[in-house]
Amino acid sequence: MRERITYIQKLGDGLDPSTVRVDAGAIRAPDVHAVREDRLTLTLDELPEELRTLLGDTQDLHIRWVSTDAYETVSPLLARLPPGLHVFFTPGDGNGSVASGRLCSVLGEAFRDIACTTLEESFTPLPRDRFSHAAAYQYFQQLDSLQGFIGHAKDRLCGRADKACAARLDGLSRAASLDISYESQEGVLRVTALWPYQRQPIDASSRPGVRTEVGILSADKPKTLEPHELGVAGLLTVLGQDPKPSATMFSFAARHRDAESTFSARFLAPTGLHPTLQLRISSAALPAEAEHGGQECSPYAYLTLPRTIFADKYQLSDPLFLASKNLAALRHTTQPVDLEAPEYAVSSWGSAILLELAPPSSPSSRSSEWTAEVPLHLRYLAPSSGGYSTVSVPYPAVFWACQPLQDDELTPGPFEKKALGYDGLFEDGTVFWHVAPQPAGAGGQGLLSQVRVPVLDVDRAGWVGAGTGLAVAAGFAFVAWKLAGVLFGKKEEVGEKKTQ
Amino acid sequence: MANPSSPAGAASPAKDTSPPASAITTFFQRPAPLYVSSALLRLTFLLYGLWQDAYSPVKYTDIDYLVFTDAARFVSRGGSPYDRETYRYTPILAWLLLPTAQATGYAFLDAALFSFGKVLFAAADLIAGWLLERVLARSMPEPAARKYAAIWLLNPMVATISTRGSSEGLLGVLVAALLSAVLARRVTLAALLLGFSVHFKIYPFIYAPAIVWWMDREAMGSSRKQPPKGEKAPSQTSWISRAVGFVTAERLQLGILSLATFTALNLIMYAIYGFPFLTHTYLHHVTRIDHRHNFSPYNTQLYLASAVSANAIALDPSSSSFVPSSLRIESTAFLPQLLLSCVLIPLAAAKRDLPATMLAQTFAFVTFNKVCTSQYFLWYLILLPLYLPRSSFLRQPKLGLTALALWVLAQALWLQQGYELEFLGRSVFLPGLWGASLVFFGVNCWLLGVIITDAGSGVKG
Repeated sequence: MRERITYIQKLGDGLDPSTVRVDAGAIRAPDVHAVREDRLTLTLDELPEELRTLLGDTQDLHIRWVSTDAYETVSPLLARLPPGLHVFFTPGDGNGSVASGRLCSVLGEAFRDIACTTLEESFTPLPRDRFSHAAAYQYFQQLDSLQGFIGHAKDRLCGRADKACAARLDGLSRAASLDISYESQEGVLRVTALWPYQRQPIDASSRPGVRTEVGILSADKPKTLEPHELGVAGLLTVLGQDPKPSATMFSFAARHRDAESTFSARFLAPTGLHPTLQLRISSAALPAEAEHGGQECSPYAYLTLPRTIFADKYQLSDPLFLASKNLAALRHTTQPVDLEAPEYAVSSWGSAILLELAPPSSPSSRSSEWTAEVPLHLRYLAPSSGGYSTVSVPYPAVFWACQPLQDDELTPGPFEKKALGYDGLFEDGTVFWHVAPQPAGAGGQGLLSQVRVPVLDVDRAGWVGAGTGLAVAAGFAFVAWKLAGVLFGKKEEVGEKKTQ
Repeated sequence: MANPSSPAGAASPAKDTSPPASAITTFFQRPAPLYVSSALLRLTFLLYGLWQDAYSPVKYTDIDYLVFTDAARFVSRGGSPYDRETYRYTPILAWLLLPTAQATGYAFLDAALFSFGKVLFAAADLIAGWLLERVLARSMPEPAARKYAAIWLLNPMVATISTRGSSEGLLGVLVAALLSAVLARRVTLAALLLGFSVHFKIYPFIYAPAIVWWMDREAMGSSRKQPPKGEKAPSQTSWISRAVGFVTAERLQLGILSLATFTALNLIMYAIYGFPFLTHTYLHHVTRIDHRHNFSPYNTQLYLASAVSANAIALDPSSSSFVPSSLRIESTAFLPQLLLSCVLIPLAAAKRDLPATMLAQTFAFVTFNKVCTSQYFLWYLILLPLYLPRSSFLRQPKLGLTALALWVLAQALWLQQGYELEFLGRSVFLPGLWGASLVFFGVNCWLLGVIITDAGSGVKG
C-alpha cells in the first residue's frame, strides 16, 4: 500500500521550507491556501475478497463521485465531471461475466442507495469503434453525499479502536470528488480523493506498512515551459524516511486545464414537458496558450441525463434549429434512447450526450457572456401525491476541446485522469480547457438544475377507473340504443333483421 | 336521397353556404377548376413548407416524414427500415419513398427529390377526391358530386397533413378505392385493396364485416343472378338454409382473397425483414404503453394503470383513495370498440347505406379507441363527403352547425388543457384533461348516434 498526499497552491504562493516540521513519521506546517489530493494505491492482494474477485475479471473500472457543491480547484487537478456517481466499466478479456454479475451488488454495498440492478439492464454500452481508449459500459446516478460509502468503509477498513482511521474517512464528507480506478494493465487499485481549494492546515502522518509521500506544491511557470505543459514546484517528503523536505520542480503535458471562465445552468420558464436547459457562459475567449500552433478549439457540454429526461437526437440534427439554440452539433448520444416510454418503463440509468456549442463568432463579443440552450424532453413520471414531482439534472461538464498537435508529446503527468466519459469521444491527446461551474442563484441546490414535473395526482385518482368505465358504458349504451332504434324501429324499410 | 338541385349544403360546412350561386356553379360545372385548384392548394403549401423548413428553426415538415425518409435511406443502403427508431409501418412505405433517399449533389434537385413523398401523398389526396366524386356521382349529377368531393379536395387540413408529409392520405385513397370497388361490384379488386389496406394500417379490417354483410345476393344481383339451391326466397326458409345462403361465391372470394393478400404481404415482409417487421408493425400496438396525453377517454386511466403494473406506485390497500378493482377497465376497452365498429353497426346499417356505415364504423373505432390523436380524424374525414348529402346535418342546418361547433369546442377545451400541461407544466391531468377527454367522448358519441340513425334510414344505394 502506498499513499500520496499533495497540497497544490496557486501560482506564486510558495511555502517557506523552514516552517515545515518533519519528525517521527509526521509532517506539519502552517495553514496554506491549497487543494488537497490524497491518493491510496493498493495491490490486488491487499483488497477484500469480493473486490478481488470482481477486479480479477475486469479490464478497467472507474468509479467517480463528484460533489453537488460547487468547488474551486487548481491546475492541474482540473478534470471535471457532472456531479453524481459515474461508473465506467470494461469487462475482462475472458468473458467478464463474473465482474458483470457482481458489479451492481458491489456498488450497492459500497455506496448504498444504488439503483443499479444488472449490467445489462442498468448500464448503457459505449461506442467502442470510435476510439479504442473508451470504456465499454457506463452508469450514472445522482448521489448527493458519500455518507453511505464512509459508513461502509469504516466497517470494513478500520479497527474498532482506530479513531484515526475513522476520522480520516469522515474527512471524505467534505471532499469534492472521489475516484476509485482499476486498470488491469497496472494491476493496482487507486483511490483518489480531492478537497477543494481552501485554507487548511498541513498535517499528515504515516501508518505502519504504508509508504507515505507528501508534496507541498504550487503552480510554476519556468521560462522553459512549453505551451502545452504545466509546471509545478515545491517540497517533497517521504514520511519516516526523509529527515526534511526536499525541493522539487517538474513540468508535464496536461490534458485538463483551466479555461478561466465560468458557467451556470438553469431551466427556462415555463418548463412544461419540454424544458430547455440554458447554459450561461461567462466568456467565449480562451487563454492564449490554448490555441498555440493554430490548434482548433471548440466548446462542448457533456450531459449525464437521468432517465426522467432526455434529448431527442433527431430534433438535434437540424442545423437551423441547432443554430437557433447556439448549438453546433450533437456529437454523441448513448444508444438507444427510447423517445416515448414513461420513466417507470425504462431500466437503464439514463443517457449521456455530448453537444458541441456555437460561441459568438465576432471577435468583439468573445469576452462577453453568451448562452446556449439545450432542448430536453421529460418522460411521464409515476403518479404521486400532490400532482408534481421534481427532477434534478446535474450540471454538465463544460469545456473547450483542442485538437492535439502532432509535435505535442502527451506523456501522462502525475495527476492524469482518464476515462471520464467524454475523453473517450475525442482523439487521444485532445486537451480539455474546463469552464468552472457556478450555482445559478440562491436556490441552494448546488450544481443541480431542478424542474417541476406535472404528474397524475394519486390523491384524486380514486375515481378515474370507475369514472372512465362509467363514461364509456354510458357512451356505449347511448350508441347501442340508437342502433336498436335502427335495427328494430323501422319496419317500413327493406326489413332485413327483425328476428329476435 | 338528396335533391341535386337543392341549394342546401353547397360546400363544406366550414364555408359560407350562400355565395353568389353563379360562381359556385361555374366552378363545379367541369372537373378542371376543382382539381387544378386542389393541386395548386397543395403546391402552395408544399412550396411554403420548403421555405419555412429552409429559413425557420420551427419546421413545417412532420416528424413522421423524417422517420419515413430515414427509413428509406436505410433501405437504399441495403438495410432494414426498422433500423430507424420509431418506424412502425409496413416496409412498403419506405420503398415508396426510396426516391427521397437519392442524392445528386445538386441542392435544388435533392430538395425536390426529398419532397417526393409529399408529392406522392398529395397526389394520393387528389386521387382519393376523384374516387369520392365517382362514388357520389352514382346518385347525383357530376357537378353536385364535385361539390361534395371538394370537402376533401379543398380542405386545408387535408392538404396540410399530406404536404407536411404524413402518410395518412395514402389511407384515404385506399379506403376510397376500396369503397368504390365494392360499389362497382369488382370483388377481386376490393379484396386486394382490403388485404393491402389492413397490411398497411390494420384498422381497415373493420370494413370487412360491413362489406361482407352488404354483399348479399340482392346487392350483387346486377352482375350475377344465380339462384340459391332452394328455389324460395331466403326470408322464408329455415335458419340453416339461411346460413348456407349467406355463404355466396362473392363473399367467399372476398374473404379468401383479402386474407390471402394480407397473409402473403406479411409473409413477404417477414421473409425480408424478419422479426423486427412483426415487432414494429404489429406487436408494438399490443405492447405499447399509451401514456402520453391524447384525446382518448381511456388516457388518464392508462397512465395510472401502466404505473401500477410497473410497480411505480404502491397500492396501499388501506387507502380509501384507491380502488384497485377498477384498474382493469382499460384491458376490456377493445370490447365496446369492436362490438360497435365490427358487429353492431355493420349489422344495423351496412345493407342500407354502405358509405355511411363505414363512416359510422370508423367514427366508433376512433371514438372508443385507447389512443386518439388528431391524425385519426382523417380516417373518417375521407368518408364524410359520401355521407353528408343525405345527412341530418345538412338537412337541418341548425343541427349541423351545432354538431360542428360542439366538435370544435370540445377539442378546443381539451387542447387548452393539453397546452397547460405540455407547455406550462401544470398538473391538469385531474380533473381538467380527463374531464375534457370525456366531454369530447360524449360529443363524439352523440355525433355517432346521429350518423347511425341516418345510415340506418338510408335507402339501398
